[in-house]
Amino acid sequence: MSVPAADVLATTVPVPAAGAGEPGARRRGALRSAEIAIPGALLILLLFFCFIWPLVYPVPKPVFGALQTTDLPLFSSGHIFGTDIVGNDIMSRILYGGRVSFEVAAAVQAIGLAAGGLLGLVAAYFGGWLDAVLMRILDVFIAFPSLVLVLAIADGLGPSEWHVIIALSAFSIPAFARVSRAAALTLRDRPFIVAARLSGTPWWRIMFTHLVPNMAPQLLTFTLLGASITIILEGALDFLNAGIPAPGASWGNMIASGQQYLSVYPMLVVVPSVFLLLTSICLNLLGDGLRARWGVR
Amino acid sequence: MGSDVLLAVRNLVQEFVLRDFGGAKGGVLQAVSDVSFDLHVGETLGIVGETGSGKSTLARSVIQAPPPKHGQVLFQGEDLVRLKHGALKAARRNLQMVFQDPFTSLDPRWTVASLVEEPLVAYGEGSREQRRERVSELLDLVGLDPVRYGGRHTRELSGGQCQRVAVARALALAPKLILCDEPVSSLDVLVQAQVLNLFERLREELGLSYLFIAHDLALVKQVSDRVAVMYLGKLCEIGPVRSIYTGPLHPYTLALLNSIPSPDPTVGRRDTASVISGELPSPLDPPSGCRFRTRCPRAADLCAAEVPELRQLGDGHLVACHFPLSAAGDGLAQPAATTQVATPAAVTSVAAAGADGS
Amino acid sequence: MTTTVHAAMPEVPLRPSPLLEASDLHVTFRTRGGEVYAVQGISFTVEPGQTLAIIGESGSGKTVSAQAVMGILPRAARVSGSIKFKGDEVVGRSERELRDYRGRCVAMVFQNPERSLNPTMRIGTQIAEAVQTHLPVDKQEAHKRAVELMRMVRLPAPERRFYEYPHQLSGGMRQRVVIAIALACGPSVLIADEATTALDVTTQAQIMDLLMDIQEQTGTALLMISHDLGLAASYAEEVIVMYAGKVVERAPTKELFAGVRMPYTQALLDAIPRIEAEPHVLLPVVGGRPPDLSSIPVGCPFAPRCPAVQQDCREQAPPLKQYEPGRWWACWHPYKKEHSSDG
Repeated sequence: MSVPAADVLATTVPVPAAGAGEPGARRRGALRSAEIAIPGALLILLLFFCFIWPLVYPVPKPVFGALQTTDLPLFSSGHIFGTDIVGNDIMSRILYGGRVSFEVAAAVQAIGLAAGGLLGLVAAYFGGWLDAVLMRILDVFIAFPSLVLVLAIADGLGPSEWHVIIALSAFSIPAFARVSRAAALTLRDRPFIVAARLSGTPWWRIMFTHLVPNMAPQLLTFTLLGASITIILEGALDFLNAGIPAPGASWGNMIASGQQYLSVYPMLVVVPSVFLLLTSICLNLLGDGLRARWGVR
Repeated sequence: MGSDVLLAVRNLVQEFVLRDFGGAKGGVLQAVSDVSFDLHVGETLGIVGETGSGKSTLARSVIQAPPPKHGQVLFQGEDLVRLKHGALKAARRNLQMVFQDPFTSLDPRWTVASLVEEPLVAYGEGSREQRRERVSELLDLVGLDPVRYGGRHTRELSGGQCQRVAVARALALAPKLILCDEPVSSLDVLVQAQVLNLFERLREELGLSYLFIAHDLALVKQVSDRVAVMYLGKLCEIGPVRSIYTGPLHPYTLALLNSIPSPDPTVGRRDTASVISGELPSPLDPPSGCRFRTRCPRAADLCAAEVPELRQLGDGHLVACHFPLSAAGDGLAQPAATTQVATPAAVTSVAAAGADGS
Repeated sequence: MTTTVHAAMPEVPLRPSPLLEASDLHVTFRTRGGEVYAVQGISFTVEPGQTLAIIGESGSGKTVSAQAVMGILPRAARVSGSIKFKGDEVVGRSERELRDYRGRCVAMVFQNPERSLNPTMRIGTQIAEAVQTHLPVDKQEAHKRAVELMRMVRLPAPERRFYEYPHQLSGGMRQRVVIAIALACGPSVLIADEATTALDVTTQAQIMDLLMDIQEQTGTALLMISHDLGLAASYAEEVIVMYAGKVVERAPTKELFAGVRMPYTQALLDAIPRIEAEPHVLLPVVGGRPPDLSSIPVGCPFAPRCPAVQQDCREQAPPLKQYEPGRWWACWHPYKKEHSSDG
């Protein structure tokens, strides 16, 4: 009996996954999609309103408001969130402040992913003294409580959006390096990496074409989770006047300037807080949902 | 060394340092202990052993991933252990490997075609067009339609198909020797037979040599010209397939043969209790002298005192035992000739072991 | 010497009835991709003290059948048909009733002892716990019985070993512990689901010998689930061959190997490398792969790959019928009686 040239059937036999198909599974499957879809949709909505909406719809300026319109309450005509003590429209400050938050979060995550991801990958791949040295340097940064570290740097540099990004990167780069190193370590000794080495592939190609694509799920979910933390940290910096300087709008400094009037006009604090919280939660849920969906541990 | 010897392994030692929780050195595991053998051009050498025998570690040491602690690996005359980066890469063209688990030995993110192409890219073979053609050729050779399977990923393939892809990749640079580390152990019986036949066909068509590692004696016999048996890092017996199976000289080989359940009910249950007893000793602290002595029904004082050397007792048949079975299969044998193949280094325990094992 | 730990030798009634009887068992899984028909109507019996082997490749449904007998299928599974233990129906029982049934009536030994044993608990304690699950004994008594069980599975120095942890034992010894746990309450049927697959061949032989001896001692029936026909040939009294969720052949061992009828069984036999065979001879193989279980095929499930296939095989699925006393097969064109089993 001779061996036929090709396998007759193309499909593989599906093995019922443990737990799949249970009466709750359909509900769970739907739940999981909701877990991703709802925060995802909210985030897209927020991004739209912060970046695109002001371009198409006339939104009052966030700074140098008119004196006659100070301290308007919620749902006043023309000012849906009211105005603050100098007459700025709160809604517009929210939108412009949101821009800052998202810009900073995106920049910090990008820097962290690129620099930290690379550092962790290199440390894991080469191991030995390189790994030890890099990790010890990063440990110094990780040892500081994140807010203290970031505050010290931002304060030292002076208030500005760019300095905020630098300060937050000091937190984000070591965090990414840790995650990237852990992911790369699990993959490094897998047979397909050994096989790639045996095939003669040079180390840099192995790193970027084999390791990185397989680390992508972990890195992506960490990016989102990291973003949720970054948003809060950025808000904290602004709140402590080490971040975006007034009169520029940011959620953090809105809370800072509003806190004196908390008993009289609580909305000045509540509205930016709600947005800050909402954004952070959405990023967190999205990251978690994707992590569950992709089976990343 | 004869001119037709493709691979000559001499006194190979591979060790792993075990680290305790805190990172302190916990102990040294000598996975391969002073192993020497030859592999000739066009030959398939089967290496059989159970858990802890060191057979897989041996394969990895031959291919220098990671390099062995001591010993030589002479491939086509060059000692691979001594070679540096570029020279090693050049030598590895002719030496490729197929791994046990087809799914983890192929990058799940790459397509079948790019997986098979990888060695060609790495060695800069030909233009993109020529590489494509070669990939199609290779996929055809292993029985996979390149049009249908070229663009697929491993999750869309079965175990047998993945293993074929792995074989195609190993063949890309037209190597002379392929190391097969339990290539069919994770496959179903019928698929296993298909892949074994593939190995046989390729051997004939392309004149390949194999170092075939398995734990299944019957399987190894199917594909090998010579067979070596390993136990706890040491080579017990090595010889031509027929004499190993019809006239094993080492008690462990006999125990292995007896333990295989035969698909012939008239044979019934073989008597294993009389040929092997007890449990495998810890590889961290192997028995002194002959490592098999704690389970061997023939063990005597000499076995604990002295490590048996490989001696030639038949035509190309070597055994490392103080009291080998005779060709008739029972009783103590007097060695017919005492030609020593290699001068093994004294087996001392542990030299300084520094690098990480993997 | 009290032997209350083990099952008493079953009294042989005047009219022997099977210990375990599965009739028209169907198991279907509901998955995201649709339904998977893992077991499509199988029937078999296990007599007291018998050794029955269910042989099949992965996807044949053999493990799912064993899980159905134990009542440990996930809730995703829909079971229909009947499984009777000593006349009592098992299918459809509540979890509480099944808990009583498992361990005391039927016990299972799995493939990976690492997964079956708790790595943080001493092995003796795990066995004693198993004893206490069904038998109303106190801790001291359970300890004593655990040591007895360890002796029965030939663990050396049981009194000392009682206090060891699983990681201190070799694979073979761990499997013995798992067997001891399974036997703790004296089940009448022991299911070994690929129990020796992960073990070395020498260890496998030792464990199989142990199981055979235990069977003789205690009269427990052994249901062996495996892909290894050689194992069945050496140790089983009766063999059932499964393919794609169905039973395709069933016969007493010696008769099966003397004359295989179903081409699939023959293909399995042919594909096993033999010690007696000459090296470098190509194995006779059938191509293709087992069918997708998400649909029930029309005709014989083996038809796409069968070397002896004919038109009617593709049109109608052959039923499993007892064509000769004790010999069953599901094939329209089985091999003739003269067909020898060495292909």
